[in-house]
Amino acid sequence: MRWDSDFLSMLVEKMASVGASYAEARLHSIRGLDVVVMNGMVVSVGRESVEGVALRAVVGGGLGFASSPLSAGREGAEEAAGRAIASARAASLSPDTISMAPARLGRARVEASERIPIDSVSVEDKISRLLEAYKSLEAPEGLKLQNVVIHYSEAVERKIIVTSDGALIETYTPRVAVFYNITAKGGGRTANRWFQLGGTGGLELLDEFKFEETMKDDVESLAVNLLKASPPPRGVMDVVLSPELSGIIAHEAAGHPSEADRVLGREAAQAGMSFRSWMKEGQIGSEYATVIDDPTIPGSYGFYLYDDEGVPARARKLYDKGRLAELLHNRETAAVYGVESNAAARARDYKSEPIVRMANTYIAPGDYSFEELLEDVKEGVYIKKYMEWNIDDVRWGQRYVGLEAYIIKNGRLAEPVRDVAIELTTKTLFSSIDAAAKDLKFYAGTCGKGEPAQGIPVWMGGPHIRLRRVKVG
Amino acid sequence: MTVEAVLDAVVKALKGLVDEYAVIVVDGYESMIKFYQRGVSVVQSWRHREIGVYAAIGRKMGMVWVDAEDPEKAVTEAVEAVKHSGDSPLYAPLPEPSGEPLSSVDVKLKEAASSGEVSFIVEDLELEETRGKAAGMVKVEYNKVHLITSAGADLDYEYTSFNGYARFFEGRDASGQWSWTSTRYDLAAAKRAIGQARELAAECAKLPREKLEPGEYRVLLSPMIAGNLVEEVVMAANAGAVLFGFSFFHDKKPGDLVASENLTIIDKPRDMELPEARGFDDEGVATRDKTIIERGMLKSFLHNTKTAKLMNAESTGNAGWLLPRPFNVEVAPGDLSPEEMLEALRDGVYITNNWYTRFQNHLEGTFSTVSRDAVFIVKGGKPVACTHRVRIADSMPRILKNIEALGRQQWPIQWWEVRHPTRIPFILLSSARLTTAE
Repeated sequence: MRWDSDFLSMLVEKMASVGASYAEARLHSIRGLDVVVMNGMVVSVGRESVEGVALRAVVGGGLGFASSPLSAGREGAEEAAGRAIASARAASLSPDTISMAPARLGRARVEASERIPIDSVSVEDKISRLLEAYKSLEAPEGLKLQNVVIHYSEAVERKIIVTSDGALIETYTPRVAVFYNITAKGGGRTANRWFQLGGTGGLELLDEFKFEETMKDDVESLAVNLLKASPPPRGVMDVVLSPELSGIIAHEAAGHPSEADRVLGREAAQAGMSFRSWMKEGQIGSEYATVIDDPTIPGSYGFYLYDDEGVPARARKLYDKGRLAELLHNRETAAVYGVESNAAARARDYKSEPIVRMANTYIAPGDYSFEELLEDVKEGVYIKKYMEWNIDDVRWGQRYVGLEAYIIKNGRLAEPVRDVAIELTTKTLFSSIDAAAKDLKFYAGTCGKGEPAQGIPVWMGGPHIRLRRVKVG
Repeated sequence: MTVEAVLDAVVKALKGLVDEYAVIVVDGYESMIKFYQRGVSVVQSWRHREIGVYAAIGRKMGMVWVDAEDPEKAVTEAVEAVKHSGDSPLYAPLPEPSGEPLSSVDVKLKEAASSGEVSFIVEDLELEETRGKAAGMVKVEYNKVHLITSAGADLDYEYTSFNGYARFFEGRDASGQWSWTSTRYDLAAAKRAIGQARELAAECAKLPREKLEPGEYRVLLSPMIAGNLVEEVVMAANAGAVLFGFSFFHDKKPGDLVASENLTIIDKPRDMELPEARGFDDEGVATRDKTIIERGMLKSFLHNTKTAKLMNAESTGNAGWLLPRPFNVEVAPGDLSPEEMLEALRDGVYITNNWYTRFQNHLEGTFSTVSRDAVFIVKGGKPVACTHRVRIADSMPRILKNIEALGRQQWPIQWWEVRHPTRIPFILLSSARLTTAE
């Protein structure tokens, strides 16, 4: 017997035959290459193959999960079926009475498009490109580049998912990412810029990322921060935020609080809960506060067409013109709410249970240009890039600190300021938006959640947005 | 295929392909019970059979992790990539082995992890009693780790761990969280941690709510938040973080004063009560307990042979093939009881837990972190009000210099925000900048 859907069906039947009211088997393989380059020299090359079988079973209202790597063989996978049942029985001693909401389940094969296949370019050529990117960096006068680390990462993910109620999904998803950290010294200080780019597809993504350009731009940002910027202003003023900022806001202050498992408290001791646990409906922001999570964006880092429970994906509107709207659901939370799953179940790898996750979350664009946003700001601040950010465990109070920022005076950008901080509640933030630009842009991230923690690829996006009269500093 | 057979096959495949190699096989099981107010949400059970290979061809280095069905083939294919690498600035030859097998196994944990039969833990911890009140996690693990290197290491050890945490709620705004970690089925430690969490939530619920004004305060840190911040300090003392530009000790050297003389931090791989105990590191070098910060003075960075060579130091037995890593962390105790810590705080803020520590500038150490769970406003050494979700927004070098006193009781902490087992007391800061969102 091969590692195929027949084998998975056999495992599902085995679990069902000993009392599982729901059973699911996922063959999940991720094969990747990582290259780390430091100051123009290759530090190391890494290969990884994370391959195995993930099984879930519901027995007596208790949910059990078990996994086994391919290296433990088919016997290992069959033994895991036994452990999934034992786990479910242990859970049933204090059960959450789990059920899976009925869903229109897929039977499909999805291959993400890959114009330049990852394997069609040699490791040497990939390394060369990283080394060239380093060589092309120049430090402006007065700035010294202390350290430049570039990390290239590619992975091909293959999945087969079979459930006891009829789903059969096969997927092929290649992904490419570049991470870098630039450390620079100037003006008697030192600072760093860490950044990530990522998408689904082949090596054409490296051209789309233009990471050589973003690195150069980030060197300039460090120069601005270290050599030219003044201490930040303090007080109540207008703030214009770049797509980099509106993207992280969409993710942290709209996406995470809209995860139904978090709202129900399933992550309460880990990633926390949500203000939506008690604020069930109503206004959270202005008419410009529309936030969407959409897994189906081609080429996106969080791309998928079927989730890890076999449910077809679609865009989800989380905030709609300032009103709280949909939650993100998997089949388990959908059953609690009596709704249909909107396909938010994702698992990082075969060692991970599928839980409610975001995919590509963004603030909807408006109809302004960036210049128009600035135009009627008499006195304010524009935050272009950030480093520090965090948000509390109910996704209410958050803080973002600018790496590169500028004073706005009479509708124009003026002198740079460093480390500008805004710290405000989700309602204050979204209610203060009085205009959004047309320039929607996405940024890659690795979203953390779950126990054990599951880092998964996502995009975060938005346009330039303007906040009226918020506290700075 | 047995582990020994896997090792033999992989080593055989590597000979002739590469100049140097190290092979690690981690073989074992792990089970986790996750619960929340609605009951046990899931019980998870993992089979581990991971094969790691370090390979060097000349000065080119590569790392491979596989759990493929045919590890020999996967490793052979993966090592091909190393040939196309470049000379690494980090390269150093694999060292002569000096480590020893040092195992710490609790048979009960081994059996539970291996079978996935963890029902007795649900019963022993009376998790059903926490329904509607608490969320948390309990984990048991057993692994056997084998290491073979081309420099002659042929070592193995086994370990078990019992780790978890609970977060209790009293209404929407009062909660408390605590954790424990051990190599043994230490039910008393688990119950003590659960009790701490319950008590913090109850105490917060009893007190009036008060909004904290942003400003500088005297701050008492529980072992939970102290563990998180100390983990960042240990990370900064990792030679890898220095090389990769993520350390606020980047311009410091051993002997420099980096903290208050009240602070001593030790990496303790020989503490057999904590789950990262081991007798050898990933290069086969003997582990040893070492002081990272001694009475405020930076004593040692954490090194493997590669970072040590580059930074003109000795390996501290903390490999990591590419970069070093800490094992068990300990903060030396002070001499105050919990009550005396509150008295010493006098007027200030007692923060019981935190998450989401992020740096604005890794090199200067400016950062913020958000509290979660109970935050007590203390006046005259007594909690008089409870608040929540305040932020420490400060710089790590300043926080380290402001350590005024430590508790005499150490707590074994390990959870989502404290990844390494950490034995740590309460820590009192003479000043920290606190902010809140508006």
